[in-house]
Amino acid sequence: MSTDLQQRILAFIRGAPDNFDALAMEVFEFQRERNPNYRAFCDRQPKPAHWKEIPAVPTSAFKDFVIACFPVEEAVAVFHTSGTTRDRAGKHYFKTLELYDAAARPNFEAHLLGARASRPFGDVFPEHNGRDARAPELTPISLIPRDPHSSLSHMIDVVAPHAQPFRTDITEPVIVLGTAFAFMNLFDSGVRAKFPAGSRAMETGGYKGRSREVPRRELHRLIREHLGIEHVINEYGMTELSTQFYDERPGSDIKDVPHWARVLIMDPQTGKEAAVGERGMIRVFDLANLWSSLCVQTEDIGVGHADGRFEVLGRAAGAEVRGCSLNAEMLK
Amino acid sequence: MSVTIGQIQEAVARTREARERMLQHRSTDAVIAALAQAAKKWLDTNSRWRARAVAQAPEPTGFSEAMVNEAINLTFGALTYEAFGELLDRELGNRRVLDEFCLRGRAHSKAVGPRLIAHFLAGNVPPPGILSICYGLLLRSANIVRVSSRDPVFPALFVESLREVDAELADLVAVLDWPKEETALTQAALSQTNAIIAYGDDNTVAALRKLAPPEAQFLAYGHRVSFAVVAKEAMNSENLPALVQAAAFDVSVFDQQGCLSPHVFYVEERGELGPRKFAGALAEAMAAYHSKIPRGTLSTEEAAVVTQIRQAYEFRGASDRRVAVWASETGNDWTVIYEDDPSFTPSCLNRTVFVKPTDGFKRVLDNVQRFAGKISTVGVAPMNERAMAFAGDLARMGVHRVCPIGQMQRPPLSWHHDGRPNLADLVRWTDVG
Repeated sequence: MSTDLQQRILAFIRGAPDNFDALAMEVFEFQRERNPNYRAFCDRQPKPAHWKEIPAVPTSAFKDFVIACFPVEEAVAVFHTSGTTRDRAGKHYFKTLELYDAAARPNFEAHLLGARASRPFGDVFPEHNGRDARAPELTPISLIPRDPHSSLSHMIDVVAPHAQPFRTDITEPVIVLGTAFAFMNLFDSGVRAKFPAGSRAMETGGYKGRSREVPRRELHRLIREHLGIEHVINEYGMTELSTQFYDERPGSDIKDVPHWARVLIMDPQTGKEAAVGERGMIRVFDLANLWSSLCVQTEDIGVGHADGRFEVLGRAAGAEVRGCSLNAEMLK
Repeated sequence: MSVTIGQIQEAVARTREARERMLQHRSTDAVIAALAQAAKKWLDTNSRWRARAVAQAPEPTGFSEAMVNEAINLTFGALTYEAFGELLDRELGNRRVLDEFCLRGRAHSKAVGPRLIAHFLAGNVPPPGILSICYGLLLRSANIVRVSSRDPVFPALFVESLREVDAELADLVAVLDWPKEETALTQAALSQTNAIIAYGDDNTVAALRKLAPPEAQFLAYGHRVSFAVVAKEAMNSENLPALVQAAAFDVSVFDQQGCLSPHVFYVEERGELGPRKFAGALAEAMAAYHSKIPRGTLSTEEAAVVTQIRQAYEFRGASDRRVAVWASETGNDWTVIYEDDPSFTPSCLNRTVFVKPTDGFKRVLDNVQRFAGKISTVGVAPMNERAMAFAGDLARMGVHRVCPIGQMQRPPLSWHHDGRPNLADLVRWTDVG
């Protein structure tokens, strides 16, 4: 049954017709049955009648518990969150990387390589057979160190297996992959380049706790200015997920949601879905997370659009806190 | 609305002139009486000042109307003639030293307050700002008060109410508002200052310290945490209802925004009732307090932080018996988290509190050691001999105040705020003899 479900999701990701709503409910039942911690949590809540009501696993649970629906000795990969010393790292166990890889590749190519116009979620990516015919040839260069426990490092291996370390002496168009922090380090150390027209850049991740923070728009401006790259896309991903979300196009903050995922914006006051345009907490439903958790409650603040797409506004924990009292964030 | 440099300079000149005029003929006793009379005007339930604060304060402070009312009772209820007199007598030996030479030991001594004090208020809770203004007036200093955008209401209204009682005294204070990033404005306010009283986080205080004239007195009140300890002898069914009511007050008042607000209750094991019982009963008391005095409105980010902590512990609590969560059914108005892990966990505030079991006072000292130097107040129940011995240990750790649970938010006027006197650091003495 499990491999059956996996095959169906795999086919769905690759474009086979299926129904997200029904698949989500099946995955929920599958996970509830196989993860005793999740089952105990669900047993305290009303039974969901619709995927939107499926109880969400908070990202903190990936630190406190094993969030897996298989014996973790069988894991082919374990990705760790970048926890601080006091904060234990969260772990995401993978029974297979097939779903992850299937979700990562076409999504990346559609947003970073393809000349594809933006479409709302529900679109079907073409069956992946190597590179999209429309995609330009780009030389991938990466600022991301290889790390067997990093979800991001694995993603780069999947989407740009031949990526070279960053260098500036390349004469053909490139695609530069890096964290926001790595780009800023590069610029702070004085690196400047003028990559050929048609080059692209993908940046990802926050700067939390790092020395220098700049707003995303400013970072994109610096990438244009210091590397000569016009086409800059932000990727929103996290260790606890198998699917990534990309800006619909350069200059836009709206994230596309691929058809095998859904994003809800939850009102933290009421615990219910926030109205379109209202800020709230980002909750992700990711079918590619079959072996861990379909529904993940993130710690990020976002805003939703009527077509299911969303914008990421920042982390809740970075909020300015009233009061002269020290709080958890300041004491970390 | 921000002011200009010219307006700040004008306020400095105006308040200093007012000070010169007043110094000639006013006694300390008259100042105390005026302050107490102004405070009293707020306490009546039909008070105009109360009505204006209730109308204006909820928006910037985020407090509910009922909380603003409670804040008025706590802030102005403490400002009595007797309390001011006690404060002066205790800190200066005798309140009359501000008026004339008084015999102290072998010499006659007179105390003089700073010519000009600049106050930088934090705005999270009203009492410190109002008190700061009163200190300046007791010392008959001119006062420039920079309010926080979080609370421009209480300081301005208080000075206005004082003006009704004693315009000459109120003329010694100028309440102003400018963005703290505007260092040119801050410099204008500081250029002639003899003393600075600063409330706020470490960065705010450090930035002000850099701008302050080197010869000026600088009193800083930085961020602090508080917690409480319940001894096993308090944990019986007879005591519990009153105890949790007092505890719920300490957590909930000012929506836990103050330095004196407890983050954690350590409850000693082996009492007649266990720590979990305390957590459950505290939750009920917090619900009752909320129904009387609702928690204020939170920003999305603040609410999200509360929700995150709740969700994390609710997930854990489902399969980990060492954790339990009591939470308001709708919204996230209050949350009580029971956790076996005794390490001190700072709360995300806004009425979110931890209850942790402990096997003794000594153990609590180990658990909070990491925060030594950052602890303001420790509430204790009951205040018995064992508690006094514990207070000795806490004093060695640098804790500034130990008090009964229920009194954490009501320090007497004469307390040592952050371990120091409030007025004695500000005066300069002249001895004759």
